[in-house]
Amino acid sequence: MRRFAVCATVLTGALVLAGCGSDDSAAELSVSSAYMPQPVSDSMAAGFLTISNKGGTKDELTSVTSDAAGSVTVHETVDGAMQEVDSLEVPAHGRLVLASGGNHLMFEKLKRKPAQGEKVTVELHFAESGTVEVEMPVESATYTPKTGH
Amino acid sequence: MRKKTFAAAALLAAATLTLSACGSGDSDSSPVAAVSEDSSKQAATVLDQPFTKPNLVLTDTQGKQYDLRKETAGHPTLLYFGYTHCPDVCPLTMNNIAVAKKQLPKAEQDELRVVFVTTDPDRDTPAALGAWLKGIDSQVVGLTGDFTTIQTAARTVGISIEPPHKDKNGKMVSTHGTQVIAFSPKTNGGYLLYGEGVTVDQYAKDLPKIAKGQNP
Repeated sequence: MRRFAVCATVLTGALVLAGCGSDDSAAELSVSSAYMPQPVSDSMAAGFLTISNKGGTKDELTSVTSDAAGSVTVHETVDGAMQEVDSLEVPAHGRLVLASGGNHLMFEKLKRKPAQGEKVTVELHFAESGTVEVEMPVESATYTPKTGH
Repeated sequence: MRKKTFAAAALLAAATLTLSACGSGDSDSSPVAAVSEDSSKQAATVLDQPFTKPNLVLTDTQGKQYDLRKETAGHPTLLYFGYTHCPDVCPLTMNNIAVAKKQLPKAEQDELRVVFVTTDPDRDTPAALGAWLKGIDSQVVGLTGDFTTIQTAARTVGISIEPPHKDKNGKMVSTHGTQVIAFSPKTNGGYLLYGEGVTVDQYAKDLPKIAKGQNP
């Protein structure tokens, strides 16, 4: 299990990505911009993050677990409807972006309502890279990621 | 969904630029910053032909009958169609409005009607809606009732919603509207549209105008 410090700046992601490996290198993942908007109740919460792959091989996010929730699923939003997906691809030399209005993690059966300022530990399970643990900060209910410009 | 993904990618323009400078790997899978969303631009779309306020009589969170036209006549009104088993856009939209609303003078906050109509009435009972909205803003009016009635009303203001249904895993899939409609206190017409991605600051900037029925 690898633990990544989630410093959540886009700049970090850019710097990491700048060091390109050769095309057939293994997937090399890093996670940035993780956050959970403080949910309305303990029944449901969303989580967002960006997974960057500086390796030359694609990987797949296959499942997600967290001690904070009885169930974590990966969803995409299509025309205003949420759909659970089995997996999402992290392209070689690319990124998988989970952002509000699009793909997101859905936490259900939370042990308790996460509050702003807390952190939720999330394990991301990948087909190639194994498990990556992320500390996901709980932000305000109206938090919008800063985009650096 | 595709468009949204690109929009999100565009926000991470710095990382994207670095990626394109790299020049290796299969470039067609890299997100391309083809769409730029300028957050400083006007959030509202002003309608040339305002929507007529839907003739909608539903049940509020107290279990009482609520006639939308009657109750909101002469009040600035924001109307949104969503559901409570929605982790992302529905609470974000409602929280953005609620936080922006608190920046209005108290009298204008009391004048404003924020109406949340459920698109998932089977699960969103008056009690469930009330509990959820209490976590956001207790002044928000939550309405539930017959789905077809809600769907028909939504359609009159350009919002398409589908009946909740089960996906292949047996989980309920519901839809929410993608727009918030602002109705003027002067004409009662729905004259402004807000899409997704509107921030607290944008609502806060516009609400004083909406309170007077003016264009932002």
